[in-house]
Amino acid sequence: MTRRMSFSAVFGAALIALLFGCSAVSQTPSVPPKHPEDLPQGRVDCLECHENVSAGTLKPYGTIRHSRVFIDSHGTYARQGQNLCASCHAPAFCQTCHARKEEMKPNTKMGDRPDRMAPHRGDYLITHRIDGRLDPGSCFRCHGNKNDVRCRQCHK
Amino acid sequence: MGHPTTVVPLGKRLLPVVVSVTLLLPLLFAGTALAADLSLSSKTYLRYYERDLAGDEDTLAPLYEYLSADATNLGGMPVAFHFYGWGRVDLADPSTSDNKQSWELGSAYLEYLHPQGNAQAKLGRFFLTEGAAMETLDGAFVKATTPVGLGVSVYGGAPVEQSILAGTKVGSGLYGGRVFFAKAGFVELGASYLNENGTFQEGKDRELYGGDLWLRVAPSVDLTAQATYNRSVREMARQRYAVRIVPGPTFDISAGYESYTYKGLFQSTLNPAFVSPALDNNDEVQTIFGIVDWAFAPGWTLEVAGKHITHDKSDPGDADRGEVGVRYSYNDKKDVAGIVAAFVAADREENEYREFRGFATYSPEKIRLALDALTQHYQREIHGEKNAYQVVASAGYQVLSMLQLSGDLTYTKSPTYDEDYAALLRATLELGTTTGGKK
Repeated sequence: MTRRMSFSAVFGAALIALLFGCSAVSQTPSVPPKHPEDLPQGRVDCLECHENVSAGTLKPYGTIRHSRVFIDSHGTYARQGQNLCASCHAPAFCQTCHARKEEMKPNTKMGDRPDRMAPHRGDYLITHRIDGRLDPGSCFRCHGNKNDVRCRQCHK
Repeated sequence: MGHPTTVVPLGKRLLPVVVSVTLLLPLLFAGTALAADLSLSSKTYLRYYERDLAGDEDTLAPLYEYLSADATNLGGMPVAFHFYGWGRVDLADPSTSDNKQSWELGSAYLEYLHPQGNAQAKLGRFFLTEGAAMETLDGAFVKATTPVGLGVSVYGGAPVEQSILAGTKVGSGLYGGRVFFAKAGFVELGASYLNENGTFQEGKDRELYGGDLWLRVAPSVDLTAQATYNRSVREMARQRYAVRIVPGPTFDISAGYESYTYKGLFQSTLNPAFVSPALDNNDEVQTIFGIVDWAFAPGWTLEVAGKHITHDKSDPGDADRGEVGVRYSYNDKKDVAGIVAAFVAADREENEYREFRGFATYSPEKIRLALDALTQHYQREIHGEKNAYQVVASAGYQVLSMLQLSGDLTYTKSPTYDEDYAALLRATLELGTTTGGKK
C-alpha cells in the first residue's frame, strides 16, 4: 500500500469512526457559545464576574484576562476550541486582522480605537522592512505563510 | 512594477459554487427562520488622500464596505450561518495598481456547534486553525470529543490561495486531521497531519506533521508547546514553547523559546517575499521572549516585553527588541490613555530603531474622541530621513443605538511620506435580534 493510500485509509477510518461516534460525544459542561447578558462598553474585565471559570472550559484562569501576554499567545487558546471566544466575539472578529486579502491596515480601520493593540502603526512601509528582516516568522502568524495578497502588491 | 501573473486557483473557480451553496443552505431552515437569532454588522469607510507618484499626483477616495452577518440557532437547533466579506470601489483614481474595485469573500459557512462545545462541523468557506493548519478553505470540517477525552477532527476541500509567480500552480486540494486528548482544565495534547496536493517545495505536495500541548502544571502555571515538521523538505518548520504564570488577576508573565527555518516554514513558491535574494532561504531563526503585564494599581497597568532574535546568517544578523508601556483606564473603563517606548538594537545598523507612542481617548455621553501620536527614529538614514512621525485624531458620535459615525484625520511625515494628510469617514451599523454580548 502506498503512503498516500495509507493516509487516505486512516483519514477515511477516522471519519467513519467520528460519524459512528456522534452518539458518544462528550457531555462535559462547557461555556455557552453566546454570552447570556449584554456586555458593557469599552474594555471588558471578565474577571470582575468570573473569578474562577477554569472548570470545564479547557482554558486557564488567565485566558479571559486579555492582557498583553494573552494577546501575544491568543492563537494557542483559540485553537483549543472556539466556544469561549465565541461567547463574546462574533466569528468575523478574527478576520478583522486574519484576513487573507486586505487593503487597510488594522490600525487604519480602527483609528478610533488606539487603545487596541492593532499592529502596523505609523509608516509601516518603512518599519516592516526591518521587522520582516529580523523576525519574518512573526509576520506568518497573521498573514499566513503562502497566500497573503497584501505582500503581492510589492513583492512580485 | 510588472503586472501580476494571474493564476486562477481552484478555490476561485469554486467560489460561485461556495457562495451559492452557503447562501442556499440556510433556506433549508426557512420554515423556522423566525426561531433564528440574527445579527448584522456593516462598517463603511471612505478614505481621502493624495499620492504623488513620479510627479503624477493622484487624488484617492476608496470607499470600503465590510459586511458580516450571523444567523444562529437556526430552526431552534445549534446550527448557524456566518458570513464575512468586503468590497472596495474607488470614487476617484485607482487606489491600487490593479483596478478601481476589489472584493473578498472572507467566509461564508454553515456551522453546527454542540451546545457544550464538544462537537463542531463547518461547511463552506471558512478560516481554519487546527493543529498544523492555518488555512482558508472551501470545504468541510468536523470535530468531536468523546466522553473519555479522546477526540478527532478531519477537514478537506480546496485551499483558497494565490500566486503571482509565473507557472506556479496553487494547491488543488487539501485535507488533514488531528487526534487529541483533552481533560477539561488540565491538559490538551494533539497530533496533526496536513496534506496539500500540488507542486510546492522541490515539486512535492505540502505535507506537515504537527504536535501541540497545553498543560496546566499548577493552578496558575501553564505550559504550551507547538511543533511542526515539514516532510516535503524533511526538516523542522517551527517549534514554540512557553510557560505562563498567572498568580492572580493583577499579574501575568510569560516566557519562552521559538525557532523556525525559512525553508521549513515559508512556502516560497507561493509567496515571493521569501524568495532569494529577498531572503536567504537557508536561514534559521531562534528567539527567546518574555512578557510581563502587571496591574500595579487600580486602573494602572505596566507592560514590559523583550525578545532576543538570533539568525544563522550574518545578514540580517542578531537583534534585541524591548518594549515598555504604561496604560491607565478611566471613565468606567470606557477610556484609556497610555505611553509606550520600544527599541531595536541589532548587529547591523540598518536594523536599529527607536519608537515612542502616546494615546488617549475621551468618551463623554455619546461622543468619542481619540488621539494617537507616534514617532520613530532610525539609526541609519532611509531616503535621507532618520525620523518618522504620525498623529491620528479621531472624533465620533453615537447617532442611534445601532449607528455610530466617526472620522479620523491622519498626519504622517516619514521617509515615504513628505507631508501627508489623510482623512477617513466611518459609519458603523450594528443590527441584531440576539441577546447577550458580541464584540
